[in-house]
Amino acid sequence: MKVMRNLFDGLRPKFEEGGPYHKLYAFYESIETIFFGPIERSQGLPHVRDSLDVKRFMALVIVALIPHLCFGIYNAGFQSRLASGLSTDFLSIIWTGGWLVLPMVVVTYVVGFAWEILFAVVRKHEISEGLFVSCMLFPLTLPPGTPLWQVALGISFGIVIGKEVFGGTGRNFLNPALTGRAFLYFAYPVSHSGDQVWTVLSGARDTVVDTFTMATPLSVSASTPAAQTVEETLASVGYSGFKLFGGLYPGSIGGTSTLLCVLGALFLILLGIASYRIILGGVLGVLFTGWLLNMLAGPDAAPFLSLNPFYHLIMGGSAFGIVYMTTDPVSATHMKHVKWVYGFMCGMLTVLIRVFNPAFPEGVGLAILFMNLFNPLLDHIEMQIRMRRRISNV
Amino acid sequence: MISVRISKGYDLPIQGAPLETLEKADQPLTVALLPEHIPFIRPRLAVKEGDRVAVGDVLFTDKSNPRLQFLSPGGGVVDALRYGPRRVLQEVVIRRDLDDEAEKSLASPLKPEAVDRCSHEDMVARLLEGGVWPFLRSLPYRGIADPESRPPAIIVGLGAREPFQVPASRYLEGRRDLLAMGLRVLKRLCPAVHVFADAGDQAFCQDYQDVITHAVQGSYPADDPGVFLFHVRRSAEENRAWFISGQDLLLVAQMLLTGRFPTERMFAVAGAGAANPRYVVSKLGAPLKYLAGKIHSARPRYTVGGVLTGFAGMPEGHAGLYETSIVALPEPVEADFLTLFRPGIDKPTRSRTFLSALRRRPLPMTTNVNGGRRACIACGYCADVCPVNIWPQMTYKSILAEEVEEALAHGLLDCVECGLCTYVCPSKIELAATLQAAKHAYRKEQA
Repeated sequence: MKVMRNLFDGLRPKFEEGGPYHKLYAFYESIETIFFGPIERSQGLPHVRDSLDVKRFMALVIVALIPHLCFGIYNAGFQSRLASGLSTDFLSIIWTGGWLVLPMVVVTYVVGFAWEILFAVVRKHEISEGLFVSCMLFPLTLPPGTPLWQVALGISFGIVIGKEVFGGTGRNFLNPALTGRAFLYFAYPVSHSGDQVWTVLSGARDTVVDTFTMATPLSVSASTPAAQTVEETLASVGYSGFKLFGGLYPGSIGGTSTLLCVLGALFLILLGIASYRIILGGVLGVLFTGWLLNMLAGPDAAPFLSLNPFYHLIMGGSAFGIVYMTTDPVSATHMKHVKWVYGFMCGMLTVLIRVFNPAFPEGVGLAILFMNLFNPLLDHIEMQIRMRRRISNV
Repeated sequence: MISVRISKGYDLPIQGAPLETLEKADQPLTVALLPEHIPFIRPRLAVKEGDRVAVGDVLFTDKSNPRLQFLSPGGGVVDALRYGPRRVLQEVVIRRDLDDEAEKSLASPLKPEAVDRCSHEDMVARLLEGGVWPFLRSLPYRGIADPESRPPAIIVGLGAREPFQVPASRYLEGRRDLLAMGLRVLKRLCPAVHVFADAGDQAFCQDYQDVITHAVQGSYPADDPGVFLFHVRRSAEENRAWFISGQDLLLVAQMLLTGRFPTERMFAVAGAGAANPRYVVSKLGAPLKYLAGKIHSARPRYTVGGVLTGFAGMPEGHAGLYETSIVALPEPVEADFLTLFRPGIDKPTRSRTFLSALRRRPLPMTTNVNGGRRACIACGYCADVCPVNIWPQMTYKSILAEEVEEALAHGLLDCVECGLCTYVCPSKIELAATLQAAKHAYRKEQA
């Protein structure tokens, strides 16, 4: 501790006013406060302040995401070795998975941080810890084996266009991680649209083909022949409900396990970090729309309409999106009660896009981005209602 | 007695509450008035350094309303006129003659029965000349009430929710008749007088049920007259109600009964930095160090008037005209190593992000901001605690965008400046100070 303190005390003058690296002060501050709680005396009104700061707020979201990362590493390694016909003992799975996933995470952080520092220096704002979360979320939404240049491009788009051009954290109206993800989705649809997923073949360095693709549960669902139910078709290709819930199937790195999403949601709600209104609203939106489609489905309708609504929650990234993406407080609604509406609409649109849009098998990301656009309007409506209820004081 | 429930707000889990002991410390060497902390006045001095004054002599008046005069709480010599940055008059210090303090007779004593026979103008004139009018203040800006106007209501707060104040049960002990007299005077000024107390203190509410009109249930700042008004008002006319604190009302009554300027005050001395947290009977405007007694920390911050809404007193400074609370808070010294990764069993927080949330208990607090300044992340914590249902983050943003009309429509003037929004903000944004500054700017524009 003493050593660290001395190190920082030695470095600090270089970053402070007049030092050679003064422009990088925001970067220095963000690193120092990871190790040492900051000291700043309050100016009064009030003289004391809560112990919670944004750093801890965001660090706890990362804590909630770490199981997803670990599971993602395991799952990527497992699927890869399984498809390559290699042994599936635990250590080699972790080794393979680590090599698949961790470079993506590292690239995301390096590139994301570079942009944030650049903007922090030029625009003179502080480095917000929201970046740590965005950079963790982004790779988790990607399939393993995404080329690293695509990862770098995606996070660049997410951070710059999704956030920084609007003034940085707090002023963005889109979820940066999802913006980057959507960019890859549209720019490189062959590899990112969600109907097929890459599984990286291990130990195939000499061959031309190093990945092979297979249908995701969502595309299986969408293309179920009329005579069968979706659940049967899914089961026939190995996607049982139990498996989908657990998440040990090919898909995006962090988004496959609904089980972990449920645990993460409980953790974040218990700590008061994620809004339970949004999450419950989202779950209700998915279930209600699924149920509504069940009701509407005639005998000739596509079997996807008759799918058990709960399957929409355990397939694809809907659970991950609802728990971690909708609840980004900045791009979510800021007022309290419209959070229900926002969550519900996210869930509803997710199911509608999945079922009715043949081009996009997965809909959760687009649904959330679409609803992000409506949030200022929703906030405005609630604010108007609140203001009308007040006895005016002017 | 009408009961009022206030659902929002928050009681700080702060260590250092005063013990039940009551101490007499009524011979401070110096006393002072603090023009800087009397809201919105522009002082015109009536004395120079070295002048001899008696208790009740005029020290200064208000330039914008010369009828407002501020009387000396001590008899002796004007020891110092302390100026701050930009020649702001901070303190007028009186060195008292301890053995025989001169006292000025301001008016003939008034019997309680005679109050009702006084005309309204006569009563206002008596209070102004007696130097106790400034204790009457008006919402929403909390400046001194305008003697020329008639309020829609006068609110008397007997609660003590902000850490740490003297509970009414203490300062009213044996002074029931003074309270009755005070209320009689207020009724003379305005027929609608609301007296509210903390419903949590049932014994007190029972004891004073003849005078208490409203029992208010809720966390801090449920003791604030602005919060009270927000929850009981029926129309916009009531927004300009006046208010006075319980202890100040006793001074008003005492002044009328004796015809002299009353100077006795009961203070709460508290905080983790105070070695001997207790209640103290002393003089109005007594020196902070004298009141605080022995202290633990090397250089604590004396918050005068409460840890949320009070001001930071100078180490050699005095209490003001209104303040009856001195809290010694330790200033932060050393940065915690790896705070970010600690479970935080002893970190006070309203959120549930530290282990201390499992067992809420009073914890030591310092004046540390506990974090770096960040952009608003719209967590909504400020709106969760705002006692008057403002959405502080939204109002804050409209103030920054200079949308004054919008901020007003949000309820800016309902803001009671309790400081809770700033307390809970994880981005460490000075919400309350911004809202307060916007209120003051709007007041200036109106005048």
